[in-house]
Amino acid sequence: MGAVEIELKDVRKVYYKDRIEIPVLEGLNLTVSAGEFVVLMGPSGSGKSTLLHLIGGLDSPTSGSVRVGDAQLERMTERELTSWRSRHVGFIFQMYHLVPVLTAAQNIELPLLLFRMSAAERRQRVKTALGVVGLSDRMDHRPNQLSGGQEQRVAIARAIVTDPRLILADEPTGDLDAKTSEEILELLNVLNTEFGKTILLVTHDPRAAAHGQRQLHLDKGAFYRDEAVPPRTAAVAASR
Amino acid sequence: MTITYVLMQNLKRNPLRTMLTAAAFALPMAVFVAAISLVVVLMKVAAHNEQELRLGVRQKTSLTNLLPEGMRRKIEALDPDRKQLRAVCGMRWFGGRVPDTKNTLTSLAVDADTFPVVYDDVGMAPEDTAKWMADRTACVAGSGVAEQYHWKVGGNIELESTVPPYLTLRFKIVKIMTSADRGNVFYFRRDYLEESYQAMGFASSRVHIFWIKCSTAEGLRALQAQIDQTFANSPEETKSEDENAFAANFTQAGGDIPGLMQAMAIVVVCIVGLVAGNTMMMSFRERIRELAVFKAIGFQSGRIFTIVLAESAMLSLIGSLAGVLPTAALLTLVPIRGLRMGPISSVEVSPVAVVVSIGIALIVGLAAGLLPAYQAMRLRSVDALRRIA
Repeated sequence: MGAVEIELKDVRKVYYKDRIEIPVLEGLNLTVSAGEFVVLMGPSGSGKSTLLHLIGGLDSPTSGSVRVGDAQLERMTERELTSWRSRHVGFIFQMYHLVPVLTAAQNIELPLLLFRMSAAERRQRVKTALGVVGLSDRMDHRPNQLSGGQEQRVAIARAIVTDPRLILADEPTGDLDAKTSEEILELLNVLNTEFGKTILLVTHDPRAAAHGQRQLHLDKGAFYRDEAVPPRTAAVAASR
Repeated sequence: MTITYVLMQNLKRNPLRTMLTAAAFALPMAVFVAAISLVVVLMKVAAHNEQELRLGVRQKTSLTNLLPEGMRRKIEALDPDRKQLRAVCGMRWFGGRVPDTKNTLTSLAVDADTFPVVYDDVGMAPEDTAKWMADRTACVAGSGVAEQYHWKVGGNIELESTVPPYLTLRFKIVKIMTSADRGNVFYFRRDYLEESYQAMGFASSRVHIFWIKCSTAEGLRALQAQIDQTFANSPEETKSEDENAFAANFTQAGGDIPGLMQAMAIVVVCIVGLVAGNTMMMSFRERIRELAVFKAIGFQSGRIFTIVLAESAMLSLIGSLAGVLPTAALLTLVPIRGLRMGPISSVEVSPVAVVVSIGIALIVGLAAGLLPAYQAMRLRSVDALRRIA
């Protein structure tokens, strides 16, 4: 494992609904090393997605500090956070959220429009990302011409095309069948082991969780278990 | 790929809705460009009229009430030295039409001797004037009607009056007027009309209006006051006005048409704005997840605002172009004299009309996109993603 990539200190997050305080995260402390594949597990409402959003700079903590790489997120403005996300974080969502009127290649190219980059360089990056997810032959297909698994692969390619250090995946296999889920998880393993990406995966599925190197169990806004996944389990999961 | 490409592709998301919204822009903009072009032509005519320094004198109560032709001498007597008053021309509405046709021409009987002076902008050459004076049946026709009925200089034509006593007269064309503002006008000699009336036992010697050619604008104003004062408290009280005021009153005889058009235009623009606003709002709601992801992957709020606003503007631009361009082509290529829009025989598409119409569409499009763009800008990815999670 490399240097500390993510560091949370006494992170608290509270939502307000009709002036009623709803605590979601209660003084969390967490350290994730660069290149780790961490799985966040827990029941609905335990705060998994909120934690992912805090680490991804989509939300800010009520108190405490969140450091990702060199960036101290709670001190950054909305504009700075947005800019930081474009360079350092790749998001993968359960519902893919591809633009239906764009082709697979164009969907992947979208984040690159934020960078000063020649069209040729963008094309090259898109080609590489499509190659990594194994969809080189589907680059001109629109989302409605792809299967659910292929759509999720496109979404993964969109997440990695900017070459971020951190990938945050929120239930990426929640809408897929078992076989396709396995393929997507294997792809995440490849991104972690071959490309050195730090991955945080939120899931309910214990089989999906077996693909990580470390499992964090969250309930009522607090970690109650932090365990390493035995290498054999991970290896078996990876070889399925 | 560029953001503009993404915007264009977004418009294809729901082609039927895009087409209907674009049509909601196209139709009013087509009417707008035609109406503004007409107004521009009328303004040009007005500017031209103003230079002509013509003063119209009519019966105070109504233009349809006739004035005795003898008043011409009384008017001329107000400026015996002709310092301000150059000539007075009596004019009577004939309401003629070509036999077996429906359209009534703007056909007017005018005093033969003073017509070439009062209407010097008709451009009667000395030989035209000579022919006009030599032949009692002489007439001058606008190029629009001449083209429509295939009339030529030297040709004989016949018109039947649509007003009592419904006589039919034969004329000889001595000149075709080429100016656009007289394209649908037909002038002939009033002495010929009077003789024809008398032959039918119909006593007349009356006119609808006297047109007075003045030397200066100040002279026109002075004569205007002097004439109305002269005939005040007489059985033939007059109302004098310059050609523009006369045209404006004539146009509004059937009601406040410009005011009505303006009110309708405002209503139409508001309706189009609401239609476009509704479309953009629906489009935004459908794409709330996508926009949340755009933000998550690094699109700044300002850029999201611009994207949504630009999409609305683009839709309005496409719609307005779809309305304006065919209308402009139609107005340019197809003659409108069949529409009988007063004396005007052709409408030139004004670039101002095109720019104003597209400008209005753009403003409406931007206004319609403002609320969804603002909401998109304020959208928090976390909330949008949590809502659909």
